[in-house]
Amino acid sequence: MSVTAHRAVVSPARRPRLSATAQHALFAYGLVLPTVLLLLGLVGYPFLYAIFISFTNRVVGNAGHWVGLANFRYLVNSPDFRASVWNTITIVVVSDAAKLAIGLSLALLVNQRLPGRGLFRSILMLPWAMPAFVVFLVWRVIYQPIGGGLNLLLTDTGLYSGYIDWLGEPSTALPAVIVATVWRGFPFWFISILAALQTIPGEQYEAARVDGANAWQRFGAVTFPGIRQVVIITTLLSSIWTANSFENVWLLTQGGPADSTMVFPVLAYFGMQTMQLGQAAAVSVAMLPVLAVLVFAATAMAQRGVED
Amino acid sequence: MSRVSTWTRRRILGASAGAGALAVGGRRSALAAPAIQKGSTLTYWGGLIFSDKANKTLTDAINKWGARNGVHTEVVMVNQNDTVQKVSAAVASGTMPDALDVGLDLLIVLSRQGVFLPLDDPYASIGKQHGGWLSPVEKASLMNGARFGIPFGISGNMLLRRNDVLSPAGFPNPPATWTELVTQAQKVVKPPFFPIGLCLGNCGDGDTQISVLQSYGGRIADDSGKHAAIKSDATRTYLTWVKDAYDKKLFPPGVTAWDGAGDNNAYAAGTIAFAANTGSIGIAARNDDPDLYKGTAYSSLPAGPLGVISPMDPQLRSIPKSSKNPEAAKALFEYLAQPEYTQAYYADAIYGPVLQNEMQLDVFNARDPILAGLLDLVKKGTPPGYPDVYNAAYADVYNNFLIPKMIQRVVVDRWDFDRAMDEAQAQIQATYTKYA
Repeated sequence: MSVTAHRAVVSPARRPRLSATAQHALFAYGLVLPTVLLLLGLVGYPFLYAIFISFTNRVVGNAGHWVGLANFRYLVNSPDFRASVWNTITIVVVSDAAKLAIGLSLALLVNQRLPGRGLFRSILMLPWAMPAFVVFLVWRVIYQPIGGGLNLLLTDTGLYSGYIDWLGEPSTALPAVIVATVWRGFPFWFISILAALQTIPGEQYEAARVDGANAWQRFGAVTFPGIRQVVIITTLLSSIWTANSFENVWLLTQGGPADSTMVFPVLAYFGMQTMQLGQAAAVSVAMLPVLAVLVFAATAMAQRGVED
Repeated sequence: MSRVSTWTRRRILGASAGAGALAVGGRRSALAAPAIQKGSTLTYWGGLIFSDKANKTLTDAINKWGARNGVHTEVVMVNQNDTVQKVSAAVASGTMPDALDVGLDLLIVLSRQGVFLPLDDPYASIGKQHGGWLSPVEKASLMNGARFGIPFGISGNMLLRRNDVLSPAGFPNPPATWTELVTQAQKVVKPPFFPIGLCLGNCGDGDTQISVLQSYGGRIADDSGKHAAIKSDATRTYLTWVKDAYDKKLFPPGVTAWDGAGDNNAYAAGTIAFAANTGSIGIAARNDDPDLYKGTAYSSLPAGPLGVISPMDPQLRSIPKSSKNPEAAKALFEYLAQPEYTQAYYADAIYGPVLQNEMQLDVFNARDPILAGLLDLVKKGTPPGYPDVYNAAYADVYNNFLIPKMIQRVVVDRWDFDRAMDEAQAQIQATYTKYA
């Protein structure tokens, strides 16, 4: 139908019931409605339902009944849970700090005009591109006390000649898990920071040089403000992913030895193995405050950055 | 050794003919046979095991039975490591198959929730046709006075030992006791050869230590199956045994973080002399390393002061209450108990027999040391959990690896025995209280 014909059909005497603004708003709501419904169905409902289940004694095959805080009391009294709180926080904080240091250093390096930097960037992305289970199974082999790559390296270089039980001793198991987690995760930081670095105009560095700023001063006054927002968002995402990460611990230590690497997701998995759905949900819900603090802190920092 | 009766080719053919008649719904025995609805569909979740041949034998047999009886069969083989998750999701979403293979712990937990149909009639019928059920199988498969599963195979740990290493060192016979095992190990230890390849990690193999603990008189719970009883002098004696052996470096480094493949890998690599294993190590060696296979001997687990504790773990077939074709499933179970099928299946699966007549099958003669070991397990083994009561709380303790964790407290955290036992006692009591 042509525009002219369309105008002819609409009588000038008929006035629309809604104002143009309201029509636009309605149209906009109509457009986002399917997405909102999808999010409510796929995220909101399971999320709220998991919280509800955590207050019941539900097991597979039986809906159970409301038990209040019983599941949480059981968890708090369990040494596994106490270990998992501490270990999860340690893994998240230490590995995020290490990933930031490595990712930032490499991004600054690769941001320079170096020969072959395209190839170098691709190689650095490999740990991130590999399936997680492959990465952690390879690390498991590397950590083997007999015939493992790390011990062979130490023996061949003459640094140590015994069998270090990297995954079997509490003093080395958690650091070993953190190292593997950092190796797997640093490329995400690297590529995010590199992308941010490339948005900083070269003129700002020129101006800083003209003003006599040294390398540290240029980093503090130009580089860091330029990448701060990206670092905050990356920290937020990486923290959530690391806190929820299951494969790193499961494939390396299954939470042992003696709970020295026990984390929330593995504990929840044990709950599922025994079909205690209420208890498993309680473990997941118990993670919420930790993650919520991270999300709110990162959002506030990001907001402050925008206002600045 | 003479046998009272042997399943000869003729007997098998005869029995097969009978089974065929049964399967096609022809002449029936005096026992009431399930009615099969022609043109119906039957979905079956089979338990995927190490042997591809055995998996194929099961799938082919079900499809063959379906074709004979006009039932459309859909067989899905489920990795046994994923059974709990898959079944949990299916129960929650109402998408259970018409019949499935399950382990005893899953059957116990879900039968408490009324997920499965009672199968007392087919259980009695199959037992009657095949000389009766073996006594430990009979005991293990009874839950709250009813049968919710039809047993089809026994698995359990045998002691594998490197006879080619131990015999030259003066130990041609298997260790009769756990103390003797340490004595033999001390004689052959030579890093990187650490003889005692018994897992102490958070995995199913680590739970083998429960049997060792029980053979020392230790108990998870009391006779009522309701109160934790891990803190005892017997547990202390057991912990002394395991700590001494660990401190003497007879266990391989890394054993406290082994997963389910830890002993398999170490045995295949030739770095351990002993392993407690269901037979998968032997099957792998038979296929990949004939020298290792030849140098390996199999026996029942050694004894502690209380005797041998060597639990048999029955695998069972069950029918969910939601099954759309329960009668066909029952008829299929009867068919799968016939020697026509079991003879072929047991030859490749790592399972021992469950019925009296199956012990006479040719496949269980002494030619294959793994199957002979499984037959030995069936004869000498103990019911699941024995001397503890095998209930849902016991299965929870087992699946949360509370005993391997207690050992880890002692050997790697260097806790004293009382502290480790106190923690385990509190955790086990909390678990039993949960199920009270």
